[in-house]
Amino acid sequence: MQKIRDERLTLKNLNNIRIAYIIQTLGIIGILGYDLATKGMSGMTNNPLWVVFIITTTLSAYLSMTISVEHESKKSSPKKGLKISLLVLVLICLAIGIIISLVDGFNMMNGLLLPGIILLCGVIPIYYIYHLRNKRNADLEDD
Amino acid sequence: MQNQLKIARVTMNLTQQQLAEKVGVTRQTISLIEKGKYNPTLKLCLSICHAVNKTLDEVFWIEKEEWKNAEN
Repeated sequence: MQKIRDERLTLKNLNNIRIAYIIQTLGIIGILGYDLATKGMSGMTNNPLWVVFIITTTLSAYLSMTISVEHESKKSSPKKGLKISLLVLVLICLAIGIIISLVDGFNMMNGLLLPGIILLCGVIPIYYIYHLRNKRNADLEDD
Repeated sequence: MQNQLKIARVTMNLTQQQLAEKVGVTRQTISLIEKGKYNPTLKLCLSICHAVNKTLDEVFWIEKEEWKNAEN
């Protein structure tokens, strides 16, 4: 098969891939939804498609971040944004930790584990956005 | 978008296929550009202009009023 060099066809091909991706994602959601309805939450998460769905969704979210940061019209301070985001994240994690510790059937360990996971999952995108904003500001300064 | 590509190509005695081969695209793309149904990138515009020995102005420039009318 020859490599496509025509820019119009490359663009058309990308659009086709996008349509295929949407249909594939809808199919995965349908299968996972069926598993959820028939086998429950654990039945759904046991399906290997769940891992595929989570990985592609996370990847898609990270790729969207680069677009979102470039689309920001105001030139905001990356450090200020980082501090506010981290503060909000820590407050959310503390609140969740306290609520879990107080609920019957959960111990102190559960109260640390879940907020710890949320903190880790929150810190990575926050730092990534901070890095992207710094990069964008550096690009703007070059002009 | 309207352009003078067809005139420039005919002046150079080139067929759509020959021009397409010169710039590395398909004949359909050249045809769509000539009809104003596909907007090529600047890179492709430059390749086309080099192939027909014309400047960007001569092939792709259109006046503001003309452009506004074409958009509406």
